[in-house]
Amino acid sequence: MSVQALQSFFAMGGYAVYVWPAYAVFFIVLIADTCSPIFRRRRLLRELNARVARQSARQGQASDKTSPTQTTP
Amino acid sequence: MKNPGLANACAAMLRRDLTLAWRRRGDIAMPVLYALIVTMLFPFALGPEDSLLQRIAGGVILVTILLSMLLALDALFSSDIEDGSLEQLVLAPQPLALMLGMKILAHWITTALPLIVATPLLAAMLHLPAAVIPVLLLALLLATPLLSLLGAVLVALTAGTRRSGMLLALMLLPLCVPAVIFAAGAVAAAQQGLPWLAPIVWLAAALVLAVALAPLACAAALRIALDA
Amino acid sequence: MSNWIPLWLHKLSSPPTFYRFAGTLRPWMMAFALLLGAIGLYGGLVLAPPDYQQGDAYRIIFIHVPSAWMSMFIYGVMGVSAFIALVWRIKLAEVVAMESAPIGAAFTFITLVTGSLWGKPMWGTWWTWDARLTSELVLLFLYLGVIGLYHAFEDRRQGARAAAFLAIIGIINVPIVHYSVTWWNTLHQGSTVNIFGHSKIAWDMLWPLLTVTLATKFYYAASLFRRARTDLLALESGKEWVRQIAAREGKR
Repeated sequence: MSVQALQSFFAMGGYAVYVWPAYAVFFIVLIADTCSPIFRRRRLLRELNARVARQSARQGQASDKTSPTQTTP
Repeated sequence: MKNPGLANACAAMLRRDLTLAWRRRGDIAMPVLYALIVTMLFPFALGPEDSLLQRIAGGVILVTILLSMLLALDALFSSDIEDGSLEQLVLAPQPLALMLGMKILAHWITTALPLIVATPLLAAMLHLPAAVIPVLLLALLLATPLLSLLGAVLVALTAGTRRSGMLLALMLLPLCVPAVIFAAGAVAAAQQGLPWLAPIVWLAAALVLAVALAPLACAAALRIALDA
Repeated sequence: MSNWIPLWLHKLSSPPTFYRFAGTLRPWMMAFALLLGAIGLYGGLVLAPPDYQQGDAYRIIFIHVPSAWMSMFIYGVMGVSAFIALVWRIKLAEVVAMESAPIGAAFTFITLVTGSLWGKPMWGTWWTWDARLTSELVLLFLYLGVIGLYHAFEDRRQGARAAAFLAIIGIINVPIVHYSVTWWNTLHQGSTVNIFGHSKIAWDMLWPLLTVTLATKFYYAASLFRRARTDLLALESGKEWVRQIAAREGKR
């Protein structure tokens, strides 16, 4: 494809100011729509793992307290 | 003996709500004051020319009254939720839709009726021709119950939430577009000397439909929102 | 013999099964969406000839019209699953309804913005109070209302049911708004615009349009699957199958 053809493609017959922003909005909105659940999922799994870790830690602590080998409060 | 019991329950519901509203008379005056102040601001914002004010008067009054009603709508169930009487109502043997219909009627009497009474004053402030005022009042008599009924369904939906003021506006105002169009259409037609009956009849038809369906929808919405 | 379909649907509506099902299907949906989108947009932007009236500005049609169709299609899906969620109280239907709303709002927003970017060179205005445009705007507000109501509740399932109810009210309302604005327009004799001046659209322009439409359908499926999977993880966070997934994927 020649440079001139490419240039005329990007010029969109003088309507580049309207056509390309429209396409930009289309892609930006859809990319944002795709990304938001990805981030949400990551955050969710992190919280979940933290909660599981806390729970198991608390259980470990509870068993420590009942054991007679406990030294400091 | 069922029907007299039902009629008694309806009357008791209406009486209770009207008594409660009467005990807090100051709250009844609030929407009217709000509408007066908003209407007062328009001439200052747009300039005092009679012709301009006359042209926009119908629409301004309708939108102002819609917003004043929105302001009061939030309180429709809030005190009943706080003191738990709404839950009693849900559990009561009487049909919930009918009882809610009575509550909506009481709410319409205490908020919309004062606004309609004040409408000639608002119209005079904006120099609306006296001949158009009956049409405006008729349109309001049909449009305000429609808004009360529609709004009650949405208020019932938000009953279980804490922050509901702006959310209610976001949900209600798009649903109001047809009511505003027909009410304002009737007023504009009357102002131009055109036949104004058609939009009024459309409003009446919508009101009949809403009277039949909205209390049922309101009951269903309340059951969803209170079902914790 | 013919009851394997309800049985299969019943199985599918259980969250862990749907989670796996959506997980295997989602990459294919996204791949189809990207492939068809690339083909359709190449056909629309490069191969299709300029319009004899609108020049190259009409090329916005290839995203505007599919988005507009999707905004209504997704509202339909949301309404149907809202109905199912309210009547049969199926958790998956609530998830589908509530996770459709943001995607629908995104497509409605795209429709409005691309429409006004198209309207400016063609009609000389960004916006006009036409029935079609106003209905689309009301549709956006409805989507936002559904999303707002869903998030206003502390209990997610209760919020989903309340918002589902609002979605059903909206389904009744949108046609009423459309016809009342049409009536309003005839009263005011305002700026009536005719987007589809020539109803016969050339094949060169039609096939990219249909291809992009298909691509947006696949995109919706992929996005819905991704969102529904995330939402199911959040809703079922106490369950064992979610903990297993969290433990497996947390290590990576």
